[in-house]
Order: sequence, then C-alpha cells, then structure tokens
Amino acid sequence: MKLILPDRSERVIAGENVPLDTILRNEGINPLEVIVSRNGTLIPEDTVVGGDDVIRLIRIAHGG
Amino acid sequence: MGTDSSVCGQPRCSFCAEPAVFINRRTDLHFCRSHFLAEIRQRVADTIATRNLIVPGDIVAVGLSGGKDSTALLMLLVSLLPAWENVRIVAVTVDEGIHGYREETVRSADLLARTLGVEHRHVTFPDLFGDSLDGILAGREPQACTICGILRKKALAGAARDAGATKLATGHNLDDEAQSVLMNVLRGDLPRLVRDSSADSSGRFIPRIKPLMAVSEKEIAAYLLLRDAWADLPECPYARHALRREVRSMLSSLEYRYPGTMLRLMESKGKIEKACPGAVAAEPLRSCRECGDPCSGELCQFCQLKRTLGRKLSGNLT
Repeated sequence: MKLILPDRSERVIAGENVPLDTILRNEGINPLEVIVSRNGTLIPEDTVVGGDDVIRLIRIAHGG
Repeated sequence: MGTDSSVCGQPRCSFCAEPAVFINRRTDLHFCRSHFLAEIRQRVADTIATRNLIVPGDIVAVGLSGGKDSTALLMLLVSLLPAWENVRIVAVTVDEGIHGYREETVRSADLLARTLGVEHRHVTFPDLFGDSLDGILAGREPQACTICGILRKKALAGAARDAGATKLATGHNLDDEAQSVLMNVLRGDLPRLVRDSSADSSGRFIPRIKPLMAVSEKEIAAYLLLRDAWADLPECPYARHALRREVRSMLSSLEYRYPGTMLRLMESKGKIEKACPGAVAAEPLRSCRECGDPCSGELCQFCQLKRTLGRKLSGNLT
C-alpha cells in the first residue's frame, strides 16, 4: 500500500490487514495529531488497511 | 445500532450501517459522516445552551482568523443561527502582519465570510499599533505568543465594540482549554485557572465565549474535511517558541494513551471552581490609568506591554 506522509513524501509499505493505528505508531505519529484518508475517504484509526490502499496522513496544524 | 463489524476493514457507524469516518476513543463510539456532523453541531448547541453563551438579541462578533478553529466556529454558528431569536453574527479578522502565514488565512477568511453571507470586518496591527507583528517582535521572538496575545485581544475587543457586539466568540477548542488549565497549574496561577471570561461584565467589556470548548482539535479537523472546508494552511511560524507547544505535545500523548484525559482536566477545573468558592479573592474591576480600559491592576496588559517594549505602539487605540 502507498503511504503519503504529512510532508507529502510518498512511501510504499508492505503489509496486509494492518490496523492503521499500528502503522501510525510505527511511523512515530500520534494518531490524535493527524487525520487520515484512504483512497480519498476519511477513516478512523482502528480501520484495517492493506492491498492497494492509498493512505494519506494530514497533520493538524495548531491554531486558528 | 450497526452490528456488522466492518466494511473493507472500516468499522461501521455505531448508530447506522454506514462506514465510520471517526472514532471517539473515550466512548468507543464510531460515527459515519452524517452522524458525526450532527454530533458536533449538537455538542456546540448544548455548550451554548447550558452555559447561556448566546441569548436573544445578541450581536455575536466571531474572531475569524481563517484557520481551522475559527472557520469551523463560524460555520457552526451560522448553521445554528435559525434556532436563535434575533441574533446577528459579525465576523472580525485581525491581520497581525505575519509574513508568509497570515496572507493565506486572511484570504481563506474572506472567502468563507462571503460564502456564508456574513458581515466581515478587518483590522490590522499596522493600522492599530503602527507596525506589523513581525516588526514589533524583532529580537523578541521567544515572547511572540504573549505579545501577540495581548495585541490580538485589544484589537479584537476594539473591533467587536465598533461592530456593536454583545458577545465575542473565539475558536478555542477542548485541546486549547485543557492546555490552558495545565499551563496555569504549572505556573501556579490559581486566579487565572478559575477566571471566567464569559461572566457578566456589567457592561465594562464584551464577554468572550468559546462555543467549541467541548470539541477536540481532531474533531474540528475532521468536521472541516467532511464539509469540504479543509484547507491545508501553514502553522504560525512563531508557534515553535511557545511553552504551549510542549504542553500540547505532552497532553496529546496522554490523551492518546488515556482517552478522556483532556475532558477530565476540564472537569477538574470545574470542580475546583465549585469546591473552593471565594478561595481566590475576586479582584475589583478597575480602569487602566493610561487608557481607561477595564483591568485588574493600575495598568492594563496593553499599556504594560507598551512600557516593556520601550516604544510607543501608535495607532487609533487609546
């Protein structure tokens, strides 16, 4: 699956049926500080992802 | 209640069969798009109703920076407006003059106010104080948030007064409020911990209200994304200097490991207020001896800042 990080860099990661929460923690990201979409749709962090999924992480900027 | 476990690995809404887009980790409830949007709207309506934040006849000035919190605040207040009798909303944008940051959010604020059909007023630091925040701060960047906070407060209050507002609404969310509680505890500042800025001001200043105080930062981001109003705006370049940034990171980590931490912190504040009535002597409201603004000491924060900066903050504020 493809992971698009908050800095817009992209990475292909291996894994099937992996909880999104686990991926975020492996990346050192607190799930509360990002919102995540899969193939363009917002998903909760306990979603299981894998295969051809495109996972995009958006950092929540403070303030405003 | 939806009982099937998931759709393509995506949990279902706890209230219908639709795929969930959000989980409330404290309650373990999942929300689909429509139930999530309804939940946030209802929570804000409940906050306003239970605390009597907006009453018939109010003119509510909304501090609209164009960032995510104030954007969500204005959208939610406008959506709730038909339920209130004779209430009017005016958006107020303060352009501090932060190069490479504020230009983009001001454009976003302009577009939003125009789209929602809300009256929109602008004030700028150069017009009010004679210089941009960048110019005022030169060499004082570590104090950026303190200085900006005092000037923004003055600018917003003046603009709200000029608009005839009876309430000043800001986009402070649950994360902001929990951070403030912890920061006041860390500083040992009990008076500030129990201060209520929405309390009756007897007409001396416009009460400030925080309708998003029960909505988390992540919920606000999700709300905007689901309403196609998310803009990937930059973070204020001065934010890296703030103590708040460290407290934010620590609290966010605790909230993740122990869901409900921020809400419990806010509940603790409420319990302290109730359990210790009179423990903190209410300071009488006085008038600043230089500008006449209401304050608790001889000088208001703005006039103290003028002295600290060792320069005249000029402009049409007296």
